[in-house]
Amino acid sequence: MANALETIKKKRAEAVSRIISKGYLSTKRVYVGMASCEIAAGSKEVMEVFREAISRGGLTDVYLSQKGCAGRCNLEPTVEVVEAGKIPVRYGRIDRQRAMDIVERHLKGGQVIEEWVIG
Amino acid sequence: MTIDYAITVCEGTSCLRKKEAGRFHTLLLEQLREHGLQDRVKINISGCLGMCGKGPLMVVNPGYTIYGGLKDKDVSEIVEQHLVKKRPVARLAVEEDHLYNRFFRVFGDVGFFGKQMRITLRNCGIIDPENIDDYLALRGYEALARVLTEMTPQQVVDEVKKSGLRGRGGAGFPTGLKWELTAREKGPERYVICNADEGDPGAFMDRSAIEGDPHTVLEGMAIGGYAIGSTHGIVYIRAEYPLAIRRLEIAIAQARQHGLLGRNVLGTDFNFDIEIRLGAGAFVCGEETALIHSIEGARGMPRPRPPFPAASGLFGKPTLINNVETWANIPVIIIDGGAWFAGIGTEKSKGTKVFALAGRVVNTGLVEVPMGTTLREIVYDVGGGIPNGKAFKAVQTGGPSGGCLPETALDTPVDYESLAKAGSIMGSGGMIVIDETSCMVDIARFFLDFTQSESCGKCTPCREGTKRMLELLDRIIQGKGKEGDVEKLDRLGTMIKKSSLCGLGQSAPNAVLSTIKNFRQEYEEHIHQKRCRAGVCKALLTYTITEACVGCGACKRACPAEAISGTKKERHVIDQDLCIKCGQCYATCKFNAISKA
Repeated sequence: MANALETIKKKRAEAVSRIISKGYLSTKRVYVGMASCEIAAGSKEVMEVFREAISRGGLTDVYLSQKGCAGRCNLEPTVEVVEAGKIPVRYGRIDRQRAMDIVERHLKGGQVIEEWVIG
Repeated sequence: MTIDYAITVCEGTSCLRKKEAGRFHTLLLEQLREHGLQDRVKINISGCLGMCGKGPLMVVNPGYTIYGGLKDKDVSEIVEQHLVKKRPVARLAVEEDHLYNRFFRVFGDVGFFGKQMRITLRNCGIIDPENIDDYLALRGYEALARVLTEMTPQQVVDEVKKSGLRGRGGAGFPTGLKWELTAREKGPERYVICNADEGDPGAFMDRSAIEGDPHTVLEGMAIGGYAIGSTHGIVYIRAEYPLAIRRLEIAIAQARQHGLLGRNVLGTDFNFDIEIRLGAGAFVCGEETALIHSIEGARGMPRPRPPFPAASGLFGKPTLINNVETWANIPVIIIDGGAWFAGIGTEKSKGTKVFALAGRVVNTGLVEVPMGTTLREIVYDVGGGIPNGKAFKAVQTGGPSGGCLPETALDTPVDYESLAKAGSIMGSGGMIVIDETSCMVDIARFFLDFTQSESCGKCTPCREGTKRMLELLDRIIQGKGKEGDVEKLDRLGTMIKKSSLCGLGQSAPNAVLSTIKNFRQEYEEHIHQKRCRAGVCKALLTYTITEACVGCGACKRACPAEAISGTKKERHVIDQDLCIKCGQCYATCKFNAISKA
């Protein structure tokens, strides 16, 4: 019988493949902060915008996930756009309208919206 | 500006000690300019990156390529090969697969994170806390599997002892020793408890840690269970943290589903399960004996120690109780090693500490820094300093049990002993920055009011003493302070500290005592000159209208007490008997014609 260490390695491999099967290798990965502080700042609405954009089919090749709090309380809600081989783009103080702009201009148009980027 | 690369240059003490390191920043800049890359590459200076044996170091993102053992000439090679030709330099790359600092891959180039080192928050803000797969993918539960496969319980205890980890709940008791004492007890029944009863005003470390990465706490507890021979873990968390509770419930269910909790963990003969107990939000229940009473269903009140919970805890059985942050350190200590952990921090305080940075600071937020980082670095380098051009006045650490430190103490390194010596405490990690617009007497009153109302009432010094202190403070704030009040506060406070039953009472006077020690002049001004220099204490304020008044009437309309009179285009007057000192006129006046003193 496999020992615990072998078992966990197998579980890790399975977890990784499950994550990949959910589209992790998409060109862009979008993370929305969803700790209670972020939610209080309005991140649920922001998440909804991305979810809708994907479910309505307008947005393809994007992996969407929630995440905990990275600690930037004064800049919440935060959104990250991660692309392989590139410096992740981190947006701060995102609301519904800004999220829609990110979908159109950044995710679809490929243009980083500099003024909302956290440096 | 979009950048292609972010390079982090480690300027931790150990790297800087090697003579080359101090020059890397300049060398890099020169090289980047030579290749015309200065606008495409961002250079960041970081504090210790925790790979001291391999320094001097540089990390290139994206990709988290770590270059180590660098010499001057290597800088040009890295720029030419990695940045220009996009081929990482294998010769200089360091193979590292550590658990800590995972966030560096995503946030490594952001200034806010430069001086941070993330051990307990390593996954916070980068994984989905409701999906165990995200945690498993980042070597989650590998530490648990490793102790079950390769280590005896005694070896686990030894590893934690070797790490030098101390309790992060505030008191700083050596964790390894606590584990050893509990493991040594006889009898089959024993408990593991996670103290998540975070109640300090302004503190949110534990909430964020659980909401961002609940599994690391569960894994730490399971390892603790194995080390002391317990099968039963309990997380005591306050009901006012609904999202943290929900994420813990999800995490526990997922862990059970994967055989990581429950009977025969990971196919071994180790059984361990965790349940959640909700607290009603009493501050005193953060004290371990009161917490245990609360879980037992009794009233949350402390009892004298010894016996310590290690010997007689929950239901009279040996109990290992640690704080959320302490538990979250455990998987990293197992994987990255106790010896490695002991290399981070200061002589007596190892590892990192999470602080909830709040108050008058530009970057409010959750930060994790190596022990030994100075308060100045936290407030100015990480926190970005004081907003709106105001002057720094004090930093409050340790929540209501802690103290206020003045500017002269800003170079105090953050560790248990140094903070205590400076007159405050480490506490669980609240850090509130105070600027000149706050009154120190009022701040002291705020914290004492909190501890006073949270006093459980069991012992007299705390119950009666804090009440009397609060009355004295109220008197001073209302402008009725008398000669000798400060001395009386000082004497009472010292007495309460010495004679209270538990940590709550023993630390409740700290806010008052430390402000008397460091800001005594403000107390004297309140008492003798009836003056509050920050303009906070209402009873001591007088609003008057100066010659700058143009008679626009805006203040008259704004005044809810109808205390302002005057004819149009002429100077108005405030009737001091009617004035309720609400400050509406002051806020409304566009001509700076209202003075507040």
